Amino acid sequence: MNQVALALQGSWKVLLASLVLGAGLPLVFAAGIRSMAYGQGGSAEADTSARPHPVGRALAVLCFLVVLAGVALGITIVVASGFGKAVSFAHVFPTLVAK
Amino acid sequence: MTSATVILALVVVTALAFDFTNGFHDTGNAMATSIATGALRPKVAVALSGVFNLVGAFLSVEVALTVTNAVINVQDKAGLPLPEFTAGGGYALLLIVLCGLVGGIVWNLLTWLLGIPSSSSHALFGGLIGAAIAALGFSGVHWVGSGTKLDGVVGKVILPAVASPFIAGLVAALGTWLVYRVTAGVAQRFTDNGFRWGQIGSASLVSLAHGTNDAQKTMGVITLALIGSGHWSDTKSIPFWVKLVCALAISAGTYLGGWRVIRTLGKGLVEILPPQGLAAESASAAVILSSSHLGFALSTTHVATGSILGTGLGRKGAQVRWNVALRMVAAWLITLPAAAVVGAVMWWLGHLVGGVAGAVVVFLVLVALASYIYARSRKQPVHSGNVNDEWEAQPASEGARRQKEVAR
Repeated sequence: MNQVALALQGSWKVLLASLVLGAGLPLVFAAGIRSMAYGQGGSAEADTSARPHPVGRALAVLCFLVVLAGVALGITIVVASGFGKAVSFAHVFPTLVAK
Repeated sequence: MTSATVILALVVVTALAFDFTNGFHDTGNAMATSIATGALRPKVAVALSGVFNLVGAFLSVEVALTVTNAVINVQDKAGLPLPEFTAGGGYALLLIVLCGLVGGIVWNLLTWLLGIPSSSSHALFGGLIGAAIAALGFSGVHWVGSGTKLDGVVGKVILPAVASPFIAGLVAALGTWLVYRVTAGVAQRFTDNGFRWGQIGSASLVSLAHGTNDAQKTMGVITLALIGSGHWSDTKSIPFWVKLVCALAISAGTYLGGWRVIRTLGKGLVEILPPQGLAAESASAAVILSSSHLGFALSTTHVATGSILGTGLGRKGAQVRWNVALRMVAAWLITLPAAAVVGAVMWWLGHLVGGVAGAVVVFLVLVALASYIYARSRKQPVHSGNVNDEWEAQPASEGARRQKEVAR
């Protein structure tokens, strides 16, 4: 029974982290694409009479940077675990620590 | 060449063969969605995945001697084989490992023939458990972990397998729903191009994680065999050649591409559109990475399948073929026992014949079974050219059935 409790605890943590990264980052990515289309206007929008809005492009770049940072974090976790290190979020900002 | 060396060589070759099947069985986990949506051409997708698996395999510096330790009792806490197994060049240990690997390979090949994505780790664990039961009885298996760590068959294999499809499915469904909400009103041509890059990025991340996690298992098994037979003594490092051949085996397998499995995952379960591909792969990558980070390692296959199902549930009007999903779940349930039966039968066979001849016979049986399965697969080949064909194996939807009736 102890094992079941541990597994539930583990699942819960994995679910929370994955919701933030696995659903959150695609959301930001989608927001980036939305902004890009808003910035471009015309044929990028379903409503082709939409005018371009420069601010859309700036927002899009911001969104894509957030996504890239998330991907970089993912790669760091993989690489770090291979080298016997782990990424710690104890200081909010991710830092490398020994496992 | 002594008899112990012959057996060791057979174990190493069989372990690499398992690593190879592990590669092609799991290509679909990372690349099925990108292939199905046309984000990448099939050949390019498997090549990319192969490269990332190769890189990932070299990143695994830690010794995974504990892989076998989690399910069978042949090692002490540090991962060293117990003395009663290392007598006579480690014959007892090597035979268990060899038969376990054969069980894993046979099950991997059989599920590949049927195009069912099933967990390679479960197959390996199953084979080892079966061989251990045959050799040592039920006490040879580490069933339930004790204390505060998830361990044993229940903690490391069964519970994570139950949890992972639900976690991944939920994340992917939510991600899909959000992506569609946010991009409503954007022209489809525009979104498809954007999501193409998102898919490639997220699928590459899954491949990298796969190489790191899965190649490590074979490295651990080979290193265990080397220690057991007295050819290596360090539990803290892996011989470089082991790392090299394991990395090459898994990436060659990935590059070959398990087209049958890719087809089921990409076309069979759900018809996938680019935004769904992005959501599914992001969910897979996030679940795999965060679970291994939190010490609750999940099987890549269960996660990827859960994500793809979830992305079908998250898009309004997407069709999920539950009969395909059920077939898959049935295969998952019997993976462990089926591989265990093969592992056990192989051990009895090897033990009955005895000595080097026993190990050679087990190996020859593996070669014969593998050749048979390969020959069967040629009757209905699936390859990069037809992997994306319409899914007709099942009378799919009401619409398709009606169309057929109209045609008649």
